[in-house]
Amino acid sequence: MNQSSKKQSNGFNEMKAAPETLKYSVIACDVFKEELESLGGEKPPWSGIQYLEMGLHDQPDLLRKSISIALRKLEMNASIEAIVFVYGLCGTGLVGISPSRCPIIIPRAHDCVSILLGSPKRHSEILQKYPEAYFYSPGWVRGKRAPGPDREKHLRAFYTQRYGDDQELVDELLEADKESFAHHNCAAYVDLTQNEKAEDYCKSCAHSLGWKFRKLEGDPRLLHDLLYGPWDDKRFLIVQPGRSIALSTDSKVLREQ
Amino acid sequence: MNDPLQQLIEAIKVGNRKIAATATQTALDSGSSGKEVLGALSEGMDDVGKRFKANEIFVPEVLVAARAMKKSMELLEPILVKSGIKPEHTLVIGTVKGDLHDIGKNLVAMMMKGANFNVIDLGTNLPAQTILDAAIEHKADLVGLSALLTTTMPAMRETVALMNKEPHPFKIIVGGAPITQDFADDIGADGFAIDAASTVELARTLVTSS
Ligand code: B12
Repeated sequence: MNQSSKKQSNGFNEMKAAPETLKYSVIACDVFKEELESLGGEKPPWSGIQYLEMGLHDQPDLLRKSISIALRKLEMNASIEAIVFVYGLCGTGLVGISPSRCPIIIPRAHDCVSILLGSPKRHSEILQKYPEAYFYSPGWVRGKRAPGPDREKHLRAFYTQRYGDDQELVDELLEADKESFAHHNCAAYVDLTQNEKAEDYCKSCAHSLGWKFRKLEGDPRLLHDLLYGPWDDKRFLIVQPGRSIALSTDSKVLREQ
Repeated sequence: MNDPLQQLIEAIKVGNRKIAATATQTALDSGSSGKEVLGALSEGMDDVGKRFKANEIFVPEVLVAARAMKKSMELLEPILVKSGIKPEHTLVIGTVKGDLHDIGKNLVAMMMKGANFNVIDLGTNLPAQTILDAAIEHKADLVGLSALLTTTMPAMRETVALMNKEPHPFKIIVGGAPITQDFADDIGADGFAIDAASTVELARTLVTSS
């Protein structure tokens, strides 16, 4: 067992050692639906998952606001003792979030990519090795957000509704969107669920963009332990009521303040 | 809406390149100064930035506005050159290793050009040594580093550390969505700016104080 040797003065040692006796609920980014369904099995130990829309990540301020609202709501349920966040730092979207009653457990991760790859360390190594990679996962594919035919269709429909009378502008907006990926040359697919359909779609994106396809081995341990414990300090941050999530610019990624 | 400067502001806001170009030309022909045109561009882009932050518009709209601004700047540059206002200071700018985000950095580069800096844009995903070499080669007064990923903030730290290993004549400024003044201070950068307009102010202060 991966026990943190550091003594914690926060009184949550019991919580870390035995989350099975704890009543906790989960707030997760919708991007993880496939992974959480497969890890949760028939009878998951947590009481309820609330998913928030993955598109929120484009607007860190909005993400922060939406998570805070979901958190407040859960905290009003007196039977919930702790809340697990299936989020990373997500830019700075999680910075400043503060529980008022329930401790929050959050993985030390930059974003969903760190979580799927199993650690921020591995994420950084892969980023330095393949800086031109754009990451895909079943959730990114479902959300029609990753570069490729679905995104284009989705975006065209959106802008046609907004600026329909000006097709020239719509074309230009789509062209600009494409241009914004111009530095990428590789679709990197990370999956923990053997989702062949999503993998095939990712391959077709790579093909249509003229990119390489690369399959990266996912590592479910961080996500698994986030959901089931143990919540050792090395891999997880526990934020106590009244404290808030902050960025840590070292390898710990997150700290509470 | 006969005022061509007002027209230019509107054209930037909606990202209309053609109107941006004609309005710029009309403004210059009817006696507006380069500075006034730049003021209009800055006002238009400022509005775009605000609406992006407020979630009203998205990245493609910002890019289209930036293209309109670029179009206008192309007409403006020869005028600035003719009027004899030569750039006195050089900024070398780029996005750090591992990071491919460049929309914000490009906006900063454009605004700095508009503010009469000689701008050398090195692009994205840059090893620390490449940036340092370019700074020396171009006799930079300022080096600008951008990072949009918390994952690449360590690369920004390493880049500044490499540059600060030896005494150098330039000042280092940093920016990008996750960057803060605290982080800038912590890694030994000389300045931080939250957006393109304040980068211009920061740059001016730094080059005049040295
Ligand atoms: C657009 C975007 C993209 C585009 C980039 C297009 C491009 N050519 O740049 C695309 C879609 C390609 C992309 C890719 C990825 N992205 Co992205 N992206 C964004 C997004 C939505 C907006 C960034 C932006 O352009 N903002 C607009 C500009 C104008 O603002 P700005 O960059 O902050 O710049 C201003 C200031 O910061 C300042 N400034 C900027 N640079 C400098 C430099 C100096 C010297 C100074 C003084 C000032 C300064 O002035 C600028 C102008 O006012 C952000 C979320 C967000 N809202 O920030 C995510 C975000 C940055 N991306 C994110 C992620 C996860 C990714 C990917 C990993 C996704 C993937 N599935 O692979 C890849 C990474 C690829 C890589 N290796 O870099 C995460 C980062 C999480 C993290 N780890 O930190 C974010 C925060 C979204 C999120 N919440 O999850 N992305």
